[in-house]
Amino acid sequence: MSFLDKLRMSGHLDDAALAAIWTDGAAEGRQPSHPHLQVCANCRSRFASFASWLTDLRIDTTAEVDDLFPPERLAAQHGQIFRRLEAAERPARVIAFPKFTQPLTSRSSHGSRWIAAAAAAGLIAGVGVGQMMDIRRSFSGPIAPAGQVQTASIRPERTEIATAGANVGEEAFLSDIDMTLSRPALPELRALDEFTPRAGDRAR
Amino acid sequence: MTGAQAAGLTGREADAAAASAVKAMQADGRHAEARERYAELVGRHQRRATRIAFHYMRDAAEADEAVQDAFVKAYSHLASFREELPFEVWFTRILINGCLDRIKARTRRERWIAPMPEGPGGERDFAERMPGRGPSPEEQLLARERREALSRALARLPERQRSVFMLSHFEGCTSREVSVLTGLNESTVRVHLFRAIRKLRTLLATSGDSGTSVEKRRVIS
Repeated sequence: MSFLDKLRMSGHLDDAALAAIWTDGAAEGRQPSHPHLQVCANCRSRFASFASWLTDLRIDTTAEVDDLFPPERLAAQHGQIFRRLEAAERPARVIAFPKFTQPLTSRSSHGSRWIAAAAAAGLIAGVGVGQMMDIRRSFSGPIAPAGQVQTASIRPERTEIATAGANVGEEAFLSDIDMTLSRPALPELRALDEFTPRAGDRAR
Repeated sequence: MTGAQAAGLTGREADAAAASAVKAMQADGRHAEARERYAELVGRHQRRATRIAFHYMRDAAEADEAVQDAFVKAYSHLASFREELPFEVWFTRILINGCLDRIKARTRRERWIAPMPEGPGGERDFAERMPGRGPSPEEQLLARERREALSRALARLPERQRSVFMLSHFEGCTSREVSVLTGLNESTVRVHLFRAIRKLRTLLATSGDSGTSVEKRRVIS
């Protein structure tokens, strides 16, 4: 054992040294070992706890993945891989453009044709009858609406009064307009009004 | 029992035999037989591949897709596989490259798209809310917090350190194997592994000092 080794072994191993020992072992795929660990129980125990911390990390991560990927999920993944492989090997399927033995228009049934013909005939007949009715009405002269005739026959006095009232109101309204127009609204416009011929004067 | 196991071959020899057989069948146009034989390889590497993909992606659905893609890609490019390299190494390299591509794509996507909110309780899956016969809720909570702390610590490692640590420690690869998988020098792999452990130790010790919420509640009560 060299002096340097003796000197190194006199002090305890620090965290970095423990990591280096573990790394060397892991890199070579063997159990980590160091001469100091064989003679120093304290460092041996610290190294054991260091190694167990790393083992715990591995166990934790492995457990996490195992929880996330149970055998059923792995089986589904396996199935999916082989479905994809099969699909990749199968030549691309070309779908033929649809080709009909008969044109699409000739596919319609006879029933629908008859329905269409009946609808057209009904329409023509309806228009024809409507025209004939119009012609008959024009020959028989204007016909008063039925409601109006009935009202007149039931209440003749009321209609006359209403008509007379309407005439009186109309005359009063027209005379009001006449008076308003004959009287100049503003004294300033009176001179202008004198010069201007009136509609009533013109009529006379 | 597979043919390889019956013949008493080691995993790597069995992989090499199966890969060669699949290659020959593909060349002969016997695709159904090739797929059947390839199922042997998929079965042997599926769980490990899923674990690696999950370590990279940290998302079960994305890890699932990454594994599927890797197996499909490996099958379609099996003609380019050289027997002197273990199938496991060749396949893992395909898987890791696929995962790194996905991470890049996800980073680009996240830059533009706002993340979707989770459910009202923050649960992601109905199965997680079902009562089970497993560990108590407190144990589950502690385990979840521990996993989350580890996940956060791993996420804070530089990409190379993380890859090296995961492959070396979680998958039990030697530095030589990690070197082949990652394309890094063997001594660089060792340095990355050492630094990753040191950094993880610091990060997890810091999160441990702050104490989990459950531990704090325990102290108070």
